[in-house]
Amino acid sequence: MTNTRPTGDVATAFALISGATVLGGIALALRKPNAPADRAQTTVRSARRLNRAAGTLAASVLVDSAIEHYRGNFHNKAMITPLVTASLSLAASLHGTADGRGEAHIIRDLIYAGAGLTGLVGTGFHIYNISKKPGRLSWQNLFYSAPLGAPAAISLSGMLGFLSERLRDNPPNKPPTILGIPAGRIIGAMTSLGLMGTVGESGLLHFRGAYHNPAMYLPVTMPPVAAALLGASALGKSHTHRPITRWWLRATALLGFAGTAFHAAGVGRSMGGWKNWRQNLVDGPPIPAPPSFTGLALAGLAALALLEDHPDD
Amino acid sequence: MTDRFPGYDVLAKRRTPSWNEPTRQVVNRRLAVPREPRFLTSDLFVVLDAVCQRIVPQPKDRPPVPLAALVDTKLFTNLQDGFRYAEMPDQGEAWRRGLAALDEAANTHYQLGFAKLGGEQQDDVLRRMESGELAGGALGDMPAKLFFEHRVVLDIVTFYYANPTAWSEMGYGGPASPRGYVRIGLDRRDPWEAAEAYEGDDAKARRENGFVG
Amino acid sequence: MSADPFLADPFVEPRAINGRAPDVFKPGAWLEMSQYDDNDEVDFVVVGTGAGGGPLIARLAEQGFSVVGFDAGAYFRPLEDFASDEIEQQKLYWLDERIIDGANPIRMGGKNSGKAVGGSTVHFAMVSLRFRPEWFKSRSQLGYGADWPLDWREMWDYYRRAEKALSISGPVNYPWGPHRPRYPYRAHELNGAAEILARGAEAMGYKWTATPLATVSAPHGDSPPCVYRGFCRFGCSTNAKQSQLVTFIPRGIAAGAEIRDLAMVGRIDTGPDGRATGVHYHRQGRWRFQKARNIIVAGYAIETPRLLLASANDRYPDGLANSSGLVGKNLMTQANQAVFGVMDQEVRWNKGPPSLSITEHWNYNDNKDFHGGYCWMAQGPLPVEWASIVTGSRKRWGAPLREEMMRYNHQVGLKMVGEMLPDERNRVTLTDEVDQYGLRIPRITYSWGENDKALIQHALGEMHRSMELVGAKDIFRQEDDTNHLAGTAKMGSDARDSVVNADCRSWDIPNLWICDGSIFPTTGGVNPSLTITAISLRTADRIKALANRGEL
Repeated sequence: MTNTRPTGDVATAFALISGATVLGGIALALRKPNAPADRAQTTVRSARRLNRAAGTLAASVLVDSAIEHYRGNFHNKAMITPLVTASLSLAASLHGTADGRGEAHIIRDLIYAGAGLTGLVGTGFHIYNISKKPGRLSWQNLFYSAPLGAPAAISLSGMLGFLSERLRDNPPNKPPTILGIPAGRIIGAMTSLGLMGTVGESGLLHFRGAYHNPAMYLPVTMPPVAAALLGASALGKSHTHRPITRWWLRATALLGFAGTAFHAAGVGRSMGGWKNWRQNLVDGPPIPAPPSFTGLALAGLAALALLEDHPDD
Repeated sequence: MTDRFPGYDVLAKRRTPSWNEPTRQVVNRRLAVPREPRFLTSDLFVVLDAVCQRIVPQPKDRPPVPLAALVDTKLFTNLQDGFRYAEMPDQGEAWRRGLAALDEAANTHYQLGFAKLGGEQQDDVLRRMESGELAGGALGDMPAKLFFEHRVVLDIVTFYYANPTAWSEMGYGGPASPRGYVRIGLDRRDPWEAAEAYEGDDAKARRENGFVG
Repeated sequence: MSADPFLADPFVEPRAINGRAPDVFKPGAWLEMSQYDDNDEVDFVVVGTGAGGGPLIARLAEQGFSVVGFDAGAYFRPLEDFASDEIEQQKLYWLDERIIDGANPIRMGGKNSGKAVGGSTVHFAMVSLRFRPEWFKSRSQLGYGADWPLDWREMWDYYRRAEKALSISGPVNYPWGPHRPRYPYRAHELNGAAEILARGAEAMGYKWTATPLATVSAPHGDSPPCVYRGFCRFGCSTNAKQSQLVTFIPRGIAAGAEIRDLAMVGRIDTGPDGRATGVHYHRQGRWRFQKARNIIVAGYAIETPRLLLASANDRYPDGLANSSGLVGKNLMTQANQAVFGVMDQEVRWNKGPPSLSITEHWNYNDNKDFHGGYCWMAQGPLPVEWASIVTGSRKRWGAPLREEMMRYNHQVGLKMVGEMLPDERNRVTLTDEVDQYGLRIPRITYSWGENDKALIQHALGEMHRSMELVGAKDIFRQEDDTNHLAGTAKMGSDARDSVVNADCRSWDIPNLWICDGSIFPTTGGVNPSLTITAISLRTADRIKALANRGEL
């Protein structure tokens, strides 16, 4: 019925995806084994992992919003905001990832709080933008007007960073808590929700793309399972080894990079390919978007480690 | 006439992804059209050239479009429209008769050939044709009004607006393949589109148009 | 001419010869193609490869019939042959001379006929709409025109298949008519011109929607998504447009059909038993004769009656399939008037497909004092066409013309597609002049009826109001334009007042079929191509069913 012969671009896609997956696998395999350490160290290690997760998200938001707002000609001065906050969040996260101290950092804290707020304000802007468009809250506007879900990603980055700082705030040698709740549980639950939100955004945009490639179902099937497993971990018994959850989260982290490779291949197969990059990089599938799944999966892994290191029941 | 798109030249995009090879060839051929008549006699060609200057007076600061040569080439290559009004002869014959009739009317009213008249006088003769006042003589049974609307205006105007000079002056993006457009909403412009000069910001538009490519 | 064989002029030598045809998706590549001898009595000859012929060629070949599809036009390779140029791309149009007369002569060419493998779908605006169900019974349910011998529920299913085959990109929910399944692809982003239509419709309290279009909003097979270059009506150089040339024609070739480009069919012969025996066609400088068991004419509303009339012989002195006397009669076009204005904003309406949004309000509302319906769509004429509108409707030339053309980027407009009623006086006949093949040139006679004029005035008033409500300035009307064609070989349930039956089979000659827009008894208020495609798919199924019963 349909003409679906593979083209050179599809071959490139597979090569890129395989490459990304192999590289990611090697990176995972080369990681230092989780040597059991004292509690203070594990808490800081988890905090640093959260910084890393927040940084991954921030990097994704930075590039994605740069491209999308460039598309919008930065016609509103406020459109520069996510670039600034995502850059700051990225810098704070790099700093935090390298920081082995067991206490929160006031600048990082401020930056993360600012990022969280920016996301909320951005969502407001985007809702306002849609409300001015003919058709208001319609599929058409959800597809093509300012994306409602996108600003939330910077909030998630801020939230993860903020949680990281709270984690560091804990006194050494006690099970870490945030707002009185065991840290692993609250981080796991929030990350699980964040994953579901990102699934919603990706589901909407892949619906706009009519799921023309079966691989487009992956980001709406794998991360929800990861979110469910992580949610179950956060709410369930803590004194349990959860290899399936861990590996599923790792796979989800890889999915983020594979998505980037898929999207790059998509840009390549658009009319004019990479030679027409000024159009296709903006109009084609967003290359920087998928790693937001990686960021969240990394946060999930950090939460899982906290749950395992600090059983609270 | 003020330049609304100062510094914009659609030809600056010729080597960008906005132009594919067939487009480059087509536009090259059009710009290189032989300037000598191949279909009309040189007498009628002179009249045609004068008519073209009245139908589309061209900008002074952009490359002139050889309209008479393009119309003559259309007749020479017999590029057809796909239809012919029952009361009209074929296009070549129509143009021969029509141009002769303009010359005839110029002689009747001003005792000079059409090409030798001043602009106002030429417009007056053209208006007499447009209103259908001219009849018989060189026109034969061809209705003057239909010839003016359907051949004179349409053929000449069509070729003017199929040229980079016209595209540039009207701020039209021009050829677009493989690169099309990204920003398609209201008040949005891709960096490879013409920037319009609004009150007092001529320099800004000129600067932005310098980057079009 | 280039030494490169695939850049060679497609008009000089046929490309679909020697057992291969161009692969439109890959520069320089070829598809293997079956090839039949003139003396092979093939199961089906299909004359025309557009919206009517294309689906039949593919479906009949897929069902195992031997099929040869003829087209008078060239076999283009869009990636290599198509320039971004309004004049050069007239090579897609049927520009051979036709004489036009009547009170409202129909200007022929780009807006209503194509001459290329793929027919006019190579340059159509891709608007893919369904009929309103009542239009299939407009005589008995709405009180005008004629009833079709087809049931809308059956058509609804064939529309679905056509939409799937053409990967139509349409809105998630269509606001008018009975439920329709989700379009295969999502609607495109609206451009500025489309947003203006939407704002106007909302100000009037009318529903509007993104237009279902046959150009993909995401990759499909070897078609990349639309890049919004805006030259749709001059051929899609990216293959995003789902024309017959990139959909059914390659399918047909893969299933064993042969396509003959630059092959003008001039006459159909009949045998002593009155059945059609084959077609005379002109290719590579000479006339040849292809034998066939069945002949399907799909040349659209001018060429179809022209061929039937030109095939008159002793047994059928008035032309083939013409015992009713209706071949060539009841020609219909569609009203295509427009209202234009200027916005303060930069609209730049040349970006994207021209008709990205639509309101079908007056197709589904019967509170009006004339018959028939109409819709209107956003517009985006390119400079040459825009200049012809400004000169034609406003009589501009000289400095005022150039001045007005400078406002191009701020210009906006609404254009209708309106139903005109069938009238036997509107018709196609043959003149005594001959064309380059030595075939008699058609004469096309057309006059608007009182109902047509009332509908046009109503639509102009409505579109004018919409333009005022969005703040457009210097509004003017384009009063005289028409587009699509229909009629001239009417479908019906009675041999006395129609040319073909519901299966597109001619009443007079059982192995002669007609399947294109010419079989429309009425034309409806929407672009006809999707309906032609759906009927073509249905006809292929009916032929298979009849063959299974031994009734071919």
